[in-house]
Amino acid sequence: MKQIEKGYLSAAFVLALAAILFVACGAPAAPPAQTVRETVVVPQTVVAAQTVVAPQTVVVPQTVVAEQTVVVQPTAAPNPEAVIKDVEPNAEVSLWTFWLSPTFDDYIKSTIARFEATYPGVKVNWEDHQATFQDDLRNAFAAGNAPDVINLSVGEGWVSDYATKGLLLPLDDKVPQDVKDLYFKGLWEEQLVDGVNYQFPWYQGISVELVNMKVYSDGAGLKLEDFPKTVDGLPELCQTIKDKTGTLCNIRLTVNDLLAQMVYEGGVKILSEDGKTCTFDSADGAAWLQMYVDMVKAGTVDRSVLVTDQDRVGLDLFTSGNSAFYQTGPNLIREVRANNPGLYGYLAAVPAPVGKSGVLGKGLMGISVKNDTKFPNASIALAQFFTNPESMLEFSKIVAVYPSTPKSYDDPFFAAKPIAVEDSAKPIAKDIVSKYADIVPTVPNKADVNEAVLQAVQSALFDNVPVQDALTTAAKACTELINK
Amino acid sequence: MSKRFSLTPYLFLAPALIIITVFILYPTAAVVYYSFTDYNIVQPPEWVGLQNYQQLLRDPIFWKAFTNSFLYLIVTPTLIFLSILLAIVVNRPLPGINVFRALYYVPVISGTIAVGIAWRWLFDYNGGLINGILVGIGILPAPVQWLAEPAFTLPIAMLLTIWIGLGYYMMVFLAGLQNIPEDLYDAAVIDGCNPVQKHWYVTLPGLRPQIVFVAVISSLAAIEVFNEIYVITGGLGGILNSGVTMVFYLWRQAFRLQHAGYASAVAMVLLLITLAFSIINIRLLERSEQNT
Amino acid sequence: MTNTPSLALNAAAVAHRRRQRHKFIETVFWYAILILVAIITVLPFLWILSTSFKGPTDAVVSIPLQFIPHEPTLNNYLRVWNQLPVGRFFLNSIIVGVATTTLNIGITALAAYPLAKMNFRGRDAIFYLLLATFIIPAQLTYIPSFVLAVNVFKYYDTLFALVFPSLATVFNIFLLRQAFMSVPNDLIDAARMDGASELRIWWQILLPIIRPTLATVAIFTFVNSWNDFLWPSLMLHSRENMTLPVGLVALQGMFASDFRGVAAGVVMTVVPILIFFVTLQRQFVRGLSGAVKG
Repeated sequence: MKQIEKGYLSAAFVLALAAILFVACGAPAAPPAQTVRETVVVPQTVVAAQTVVAPQTVVVPQTVVAEQTVVVQPTAAPNPEAVIKDVEPNAEVSLWTFWLSPTFDDYIKSTIARFEATYPGVKVNWEDHQATFQDDLRNAFAAGNAPDVINLSVGEGWVSDYATKGLLLPLDDKVPQDVKDLYFKGLWEEQLVDGVNYQFPWYQGISVELVNMKVYSDGAGLKLEDFPKTVDGLPELCQTIKDKTGTLCNIRLTVNDLLAQMVYEGGVKILSEDGKTCTFDSADGAAWLQMYVDMVKAGTVDRSVLVTDQDRVGLDLFTSGNSAFYQTGPNLIREVRANNPGLYGYLAAVPAPVGKSGVLGKGLMGISVKNDTKFPNASIALAQFFTNPESMLEFSKIVAVYPSTPKSYDDPFFAAKPIAVEDSAKPIAKDIVSKYADIVPTVPNKADVNEAVLQAVQSALFDNVPVQDALTTAAKACTELINK
Repeated sequence: MSKRFSLTPYLFLAPALIIITVFILYPTAAVVYYSFTDYNIVQPPEWVGLQNYQQLLRDPIFWKAFTNSFLYLIVTPTLIFLSILLAIVVNRPLPGINVFRALYYVPVISGTIAVGIAWRWLFDYNGGLINGILVGIGILPAPVQWLAEPAFTLPIAMLLTIWIGLGYYMMVFLAGLQNIPEDLYDAAVIDGCNPVQKHWYVTLPGLRPQIVFVAVISSLAAIEVFNEIYVITGGLGGILNSGVTMVFYLWRQAFRLQHAGYASAVAMVLLLITLAFSIINIRLLERSEQNT
Repeated sequence: MTNTPSLALNAAAVAHRRRQRHKFIETVFWYAILILVAIITVLPFLWILSTSFKGPTDAVVSIPLQFIPHEPTLNNYLRVWNQLPVGRFFLNSIIVGVATTTLNIGITALAAYPLAKMNFRGRDAIFYLLLATFIIPAQLTYIPSFVLAVNVFKYYDTLFALVFPSLATVFNIFLLRQAFMSVPNDLIDAARMDGASELRIWWQILLPIIRPTLATVAIFTFVNSWNDFLWPSLMLHSRENMTLPVGLVALQGMFASDFRGVAAGVVMTVVPILIFFVTLQRQFVRGLSGAVKG
């Protein structure tokens, strides 16, 4: 008894002392650093004056962001959305999404409800995974209980990873032509592996460069319209920003798909014509890598962000207000708003600079079906349903993502004038999304090849290995791996 | 003593032996086998002979992990030294000393993951506490990207291990100190020992069993470190693999890159190292048992 | 004659005062050290604690550090609580910790008794076998254990997957064996004379005697289970099955850029266990002194 009493006493002591320390340490910080004021909407925050994203000058007046949740009532059968035939009766399919919960719980749940009404008898079990998505999914595949329907990132190279391992269901023969025709052709073929498609293209992003005007304009004295149009303008920009403001550039390599980045950004030819030799140790490849090496040497980039595999690390840095710009999709602007409302008023967006290839890049997200699912048709139906024009349109209405289906853009929603900064790309979204194309050849054993390339890139970036030597080593390892 | 055969001891031992066989002995045998195969957990293993081991010898990242794991052992003597000092301090009968003991214990029971999250923030580039203080008092001209400097990855993880372990091992030594008879110190003082000598001649020998215990536990933990590295590097192993240790590499090969066969070869090397270690440790234990 | 004692007294008083002043300075010195170390150990937690109460307009990281939020709020806690089953993480950790600890102690104490106090064929062989397994790092077994979990026991993504493999630890068997060895043989012999079964001797006589060691072993086992991360992260992926460390990593992922949310989550997971251990502190110290006597 006594012991317990003493225990509580010391617990109370701990808390008391914590409180004392709390107060004591708090005091010196007294003049409260007026870091963040009220959400100030800067009148001169001009979103992309001379840029492609928003041809007309969009001034952000009183940013009112409508955040209504759209719950769609199930329609009565026969349902025009039921386009997949022979769905297995009483199928139970599991669905994993990437980083959509809790923000989009209502949308996902209502879409699932609509799906279950459209294909009566099919039950959907939904899970969302965030930072650990890839680890969880790999383990689930190893454990033989991977989900039937999986939301995979095309841009990060996940679809090609799993497809080259034979884990995904090829869709070309299973999906009727009229359903394929619902999607932009470039998106349906945006991630072919040996000529076969493994994904329904889902929500797309328009890559923009989010700019923090407080650092970029007030701090570094730069003008928004001078933001580099091509990637090779970045080193100079970063040097200026570092010199003027001391902040580092927030640039991320696509560490999970470096070869794709080389292709889009550096115009590098990564494989020989016969597909038997890796050729990225060319002059183009060296030039591409040298640019990043120079930036690291100059100390103008944040090194953690540069080689992280999580897009959120870079977004965090931008959100904290400590970087001048970050390349992301407008859909993530809401994260910035939610976590640092004070920064929102200083936001502007310009089109992301393009690389040597001149191609805008691949799309963002796809939905795939696992190869050994018990219910292939029900799974295909679910993947298709989430990516159909109706579901896509509803999704676009809640967040700045763009449909993979041309029909969705016919809705008056896309004709309406954009108000908030995240919507600035709306009028031209269809044009951009329709131009996405896959120009990266299929690399066998891709995950291992990428690992070898990543090690080489790191050794050049951080270990003073000459760029050419690093790439030659990696190319040799790559050639060995693709012929295994 | 008549030795009549009895089932009793075997029955007592059976549950433990079954568990150990299934979860330690069998897996070890399986790992030995996997290490000679190409295996990705999904498809059945394929015999490749010594290929994994040959690859291991040529794999610079493996050697990096190997070196890092040994470097990590620095935490053991540091922890022993610091936690004995701290134990001596908190062994004084000062009012409120229990509160301090409890405070030092906070990182231990909070768990590596929770503590690691706090730790990462400390070393944040933009306004982390460390940069704030060092730049503030003029030691550093400009903030440093601590978590992105290959040279710092391992030391930061080691500091985390020490920070967490300090309170824990302090308690172990404190318990030991309380078993040392007070008159030994009195005798030492009478013999003219100064405070430092007093502890050198009385405390250290008196704490011998605890020191051996902590040495064994913390050196094994150091060789097998994973959590700290995972949290500090966000699961990536640090720039240039600067934070990759044997267990981290094992995990990355097996569960990130699906090379379970290769990872098994890494595991075999880990086993050899712990074997060597344990032989040393057992010797130490035996000697300390004879002494007390 | 009259002077001497008073002089001596005086001298003694001066010496006493000097000693007292010396002692006072010494005490201040010790407290300074104690507080310094306390700041080092607790400061990051205070930071997290204060961050968890900060509203959206309070800067998380700023120099000088701001510890007292301008607009203290509980919103961060509500947000985390509403979006993640933190209570469930807790419950899971407790279930796994308690189940592992009680079953493990039962099994290892059973095994330790004959090793300490009985003569039987193969005792040394078994002992050395156990000694040999002591050196096998747990992480080494994860690949086959993963396969076992999936193909044989089918407990992937359940809490059983965390409990079963840790039911018998060689380390605990050794600690308990040592404790049993220190029990006088006469006691056991007398009980045997009285016709008590070995199980009864174990339960009624031996276990109560070695209670301090049992407490230590229990605490070790519980703390290990509570903090275990790697194996649970391989086994658990459904939210409702996660233990605290795994849940924390999920939380850190989910609230990635929401430092306030992460901080609230950390506080929620740390505080209860803190209170629990402060309550048990005395037992813990005593247990430790019992265990490592050699």
